[in-house]
Amino acid sequence: MSNSKILQADIKISKSKDIRSLPGFSWFTLSFFIYLYLPLMILVFFSFNSSSSATVWEGFSIDWYFKAFANDDIQRATKNSLIIAVVSTFFATIFATMAALALSRNRKIKHKPMFMGLIILPLMVPEIVTAVATLTFFSTIGLSLGIGNIIIAHTVFCIPFAYMPIRARLQSMDKNLEVAAQDLYANKWETLRLITLPILVPGIFSGAMLAFIISIDDFIITLMVAEAGSNTLPIYIYGLVRKGITPEINAISTILLIISIMFVTLSYWIGKKR
Amino acid sequence: MSVAIKADNLRKIYSGNPPVVALKSASLEINDNEFFTLLGPSGCGKTTLLRLIAGFESITAGELCLYGNNISNLPPEIRPVNTVFQHYSLFPHMTILDNVAFGLRRLGTDKNKANSVAQEMLDLVHLGEYGARKPDQLSGGQQQRVALARALTPQPKVLLLDEPLSALDLKLRQAMRSELKRLQRETGITFVFVTHDQEEALSMSDRIAVMSAGEIQQIATPDEIYERPANRFVADFIGDANFYDAVAGKHKDELVEYIIDDITSLKGQRVESIKENDKVTLAIRPEKVSFVKAGDKDTLAGTVSDIMYLGNTTDYLVILQNNETIKVRAENHHNGEAIANVGEPVSLAINPAALRILKK
Ligand SMILES: Nc1ncnc2c1ncn2[C@@H]1O[C@H](COP(=O)(O)OP(=O)(O)OP(=O)(O)O)[C@@H](O)[C@H]1O
Ligand SMILES: [Mg+2]
Repeated sequence: MSNSKILQADIKISKSKDIRSLPGFSWFTLSFFIYLYLPLMILVFFSFNSSSSATVWEGFSIDWYFKAFANDDIQRATKNSLIIAVVSTFFATIFATMAALALSRNRKIKHKPMFMGLIILPLMVPEIVTAVATLTFFSTIGLSLGIGNIIIAHTVFCIPFAYMPIRARLQSMDKNLEVAAQDLYANKWETLRLITLPILVPGIFSGAMLAFIISIDDFIITLMVAEAGSNTLPIYIYGLVRKGITPEINAISTILLIISIMFVTLSYWIGKKR
Repeated sequence: MSVAIKADNLRKIYSGNPPVVALKSASLEINDNEFFTLLGPSGCGKTTLLRLIAGFESITAGELCLYGNNISNLPPEIRPVNTVFQHYSLFPHMTILDNVAFGLRRLGTDKNKANSVAQEMLDLVHLGEYGARKPDQLSGGQQQRVALARALTPQPKVLLLDEPLSALDLKLRQAMRSELKRLQRETGITFVFVTHDQEEALSMSDRIAVMSAGEIQQIATPDEIYERPANRFVADFIGDANFYDAVAGKHKDELVEYIIDDITSLKGQRVESIKENDKVTLAIRPEKVSFVKAGDKDTLAGTVSDIMYLGNTTDYLVILQNNETIKVRAENHHNGEAIANVGEPVSLAINPAALRILKK
């Protein structure tokens, strides 16, 4: 009898320790998510406003989307954004893959933790510092390739983002698979082509998507580096906002938001596969 | 009979801080078409020796020959040797058929031919219908057989197996033992099999190398290993044994009196290399001790102190008059009754031929 009472008391204690049973926890959670997402929801909501006010609702319409799509400046900025993102994602992913392979498979490289740290370090450097440094660097060497400057800058800061999922995938891969391939008469190149890379594909994809979205979203570095005529979408939006917010901005932002969510979800989903 | 693998003072030190001496100096000869087993406790260097033969690790010192050719410095993709890995390591992104055909494809066999040989091999391991599946759609036992088929398909001269059965449950493991033996007979390929399971080793092997702490302790057939262990480690590792320190006494014909202490001595066979007054260790298998009637000649008297029922046999712990304990294993009566009860005085006899005399 007394034993079971003690047991019950135990259970009560352990339950009350569980954070989910704290009074008001669900309200707290709810307000947290409202805090996070309400601004976004309002932004999306007013992109469908029929009047030109971004704060007073007057009726549903999708005119602003048509307006946005028809706007030459927006088209140009979008094109720039996409070119920059695609090209820099491509190169960043290649560099990241090679770095990950070298750092986890090449026995001859010494001080691997240091190199790994060097690759990931840019994630922790304040972006404004990177931006100023990049700008100074470009003007010092007199590099002026227009959109090319932005591509180079983006490629560099996208590398760590592409690197992380690729490295995670390589780490979780059974090293004996490569040994088994060699045991079955595959040379180093065949092992890489037939075993390592195919198994790495989800990691590479996931890394590429992260890099892409980081590039599309970037503002500070691009603002510093961009020359006249090579505006990207975020910079164009920033310029519009300074003139006053219209639902057109909401519409473009909503599209950007949807693209971002899509890519992040895809990246997460592919990275998780197998 | 030709020699398939000849290892000459093979030595392996893993560089690191501190360096690990995984293999001190291993010499052995494995015959063509033999089922050869490396047996030993965890960490004794079995996998290391296997990886040296496969070429996954570089040799620190010594020489390795395959059918008379020195292969010490050949990379693994050139050695005509294949491996079945402990955790199978099937290529997860390929179908079962592609997995099995992989080796032949890399050797340059064209796709149709490689696939048809792979299919035959899958039939041989009873997985003919599974070729189109991916590895994660198979059970552990099926994956194990795919790993076997994959390593056998290129028809290696030697097949290396690193504890291939350890991840399987008991029933499956027993079924796979005879399966492996059958495959070895049918393919005529030399098998080098690693295990730390003595029952597996004894039941499957033509010969066994018992290893301990980076050294080979004994190489012999299963019954020789069991009946005539070379040293205390082997006697202890394989099966059960009672050990007693003793001194060799005078010999009478071919029998020698081995003196354990003032009141206890055992008769055993004479060993050429052991002279009078040499210190020895006596090893006695529990099933070689028998209960006899009190008063017979050359018996040991004692009292039963503990009984362990093991199904078809029972282990009796008997305390002898010199306070040493001896384990006796006896087959059970049809009715399952114990031969002796705890506290009961008993007399034991040991056949001189069953006494193993080990040099100290
Ligand atoms: N890559 C390595 N680097 C350093 N030491 C190693 C390495 N591989 C194995 N060792 C060490 O070498 C010794 C022998 O290892 P090995 O793997 O050959 O043992 P094993 O007999 O196969 O054991 P098990 O039955 O547990 O598989 C061990 O002490 C182990 O710690
Ligand atoms: Mg091992």
